[in-house]
This record gives sequence, C-alpha cells and structure tokens, in this order.
Amino acid sequence: MTTMTQNITQVYQLFIKATPEQIWEAITTPEFTQRYFHGARITVTPESYRSLAPNDDVWGDDAVLEFEPPHRLVHGWRSLYSPELAAEETSRVTWEIDPQDGGYCSLTVTHDQLEGAPKTAASVSGAGWMMVLSGLKTLLETGKPLTG
Amino acid sequence: MTAMDDDRVFKALADPTRRYLLDRLYERDGRTLTELESALEMTRFGVMKHLKVLEDAGLVVTRRSGREKLHFLNPVPIRLIHDRWIDKYTERRVSALADLKTQLEETG
Repeated sequence: MTTMTQNITQVYQLFIKATPEQIWEAITTPEFTQRYFHGARITVTPESYRSLAPNDDVWGDDAVLEFEPPHRLVHGWRSLYSPELAAEETSRVTWEIDPQDGGYCSLTVTHDQLEGAPKTAASVSGAGWMMVLSGLKTLLETGKPLTG
Repeated sequence: MTAMDDDRVFKALADPTRRYLLDRLYERDGRTLTELESALEMTRFGVMKHLKVLEDAGLVVTRRSGREKLHFLNPVPIRLIHDRWIDKYTERRVSALADLKTQLEETG
C-alpha cells in the first residue's frame, strides 16, 4: 500500500485439473459457489451477477458485461457486504478459462478498474481472492471444500 | 499443481534478481519491461530472460495495454506452495510441541 497506483489491477492465475465446462459451472452456480466463496450463493445469468449471503443478505448485485460460456465472463463488482466498501465505485472482474494440454485449464481472474475503489482493492487483494481461488481449485480437484 | 510446476516455482525463486523483480512488482504491479530494467544493472535482454523464467513458473502474468506489455505479480503459485509445504511442516512442529507439553504435564 505504498503508492496510489498499487492494486488497481490485480491478476490471479492458476491451473485446475478440470474441463472448461466444470470450471464454468463452479463459477456460475450457487450450489458450487457456496462451498468455496465465503458461503456466498452466486447466480450468474447473461444479464446479472447476484451473490447472496448464507443469511440471504445481498452481497453482490452487478451487471454481467460479457457472457461466453465456458470461456469468458466479465461482470461488475461492488462489495455490498460492507457499507464502507459498497460506497465505493463499481470495479470489474474478468474470468478467463483456457484449456491446456493434459486435461488442465488455466483460470485467470483479473480484478481491475479499481481506481475509484481503493478500500475494495485492499480488501480483495492477496489472501482475499487467493482463498477463493485455491478453494475453487481444491473443490474441483478433490470434490471437497478447502476449509470446514 | 503438479510436481513439475513446483520445480519451476522453486527454480524461479532460487535467484536474487528474480526475487528482486517480484518484490518490485509487489510494491507496484503492472510495470513495463523498461520500468523494471531501470532498477537493475543488467542488460534489457538479461531482464527479459529472468522475466521469462518467472512467467513460465506462473509467478508473473503479462497483459497488453495498448502498445505496452505490463507485468503483473501472480501470487497464487506461492500460496499453493505455502499450503503444500510450509503449512504442512509448521503444523507438525506445532503439534509435536503440543504433544510434548501434554506428555510433560502428565508425567509431572
């Protein structure tokens, strides 16, 4: 957190032993997301990205900007789970799924347009996205969630 | 992550210049080659070679932005190594100490 420009674009990439369809399903259906995304039930349609807390609070309600199953999803991001973060501007999350040799896919998550959301940028960076993504990988590869 | 991916990450980290480049990106992400080489007393080609090793290990991901190629730190492989190696051994040491404590308290 030493400069103003830090963290306004964050890139996370990992390799998952799963098909693009399996990864797409794990990203876009609430039955899957609640097992690795802090318990959030996330439903993605071509129009909207909606995230519900375990207690039915709305954690996210944003527009879907690109919807190309099973390879590319772009949606808005506003952290409605915290009033302080929710007051910041909407940022953008891009999911890219690229099949590799050997039954693997690379999954690249880019969280950008965070210029107007410095607190959100700090809150999702590092452990934030990494816990979600390593949980997603573990769930797809072993059938079990990372924690609990 | 396969054993081969682990090898790449460990090899990439086993060099002070590459660790320095990662630290630079940690300070501020999304830098160009020109920015990164300015801090090093090394040829442009030398820095490119190091960045290629980091990219192959998945520690650096590049993105095009207009005419520029920007380098981003990808923290996920280090996290996975942490989960796989560091957690495992520190947990064991901690539980060994806990066992020792229990044993001493029982006999004492």
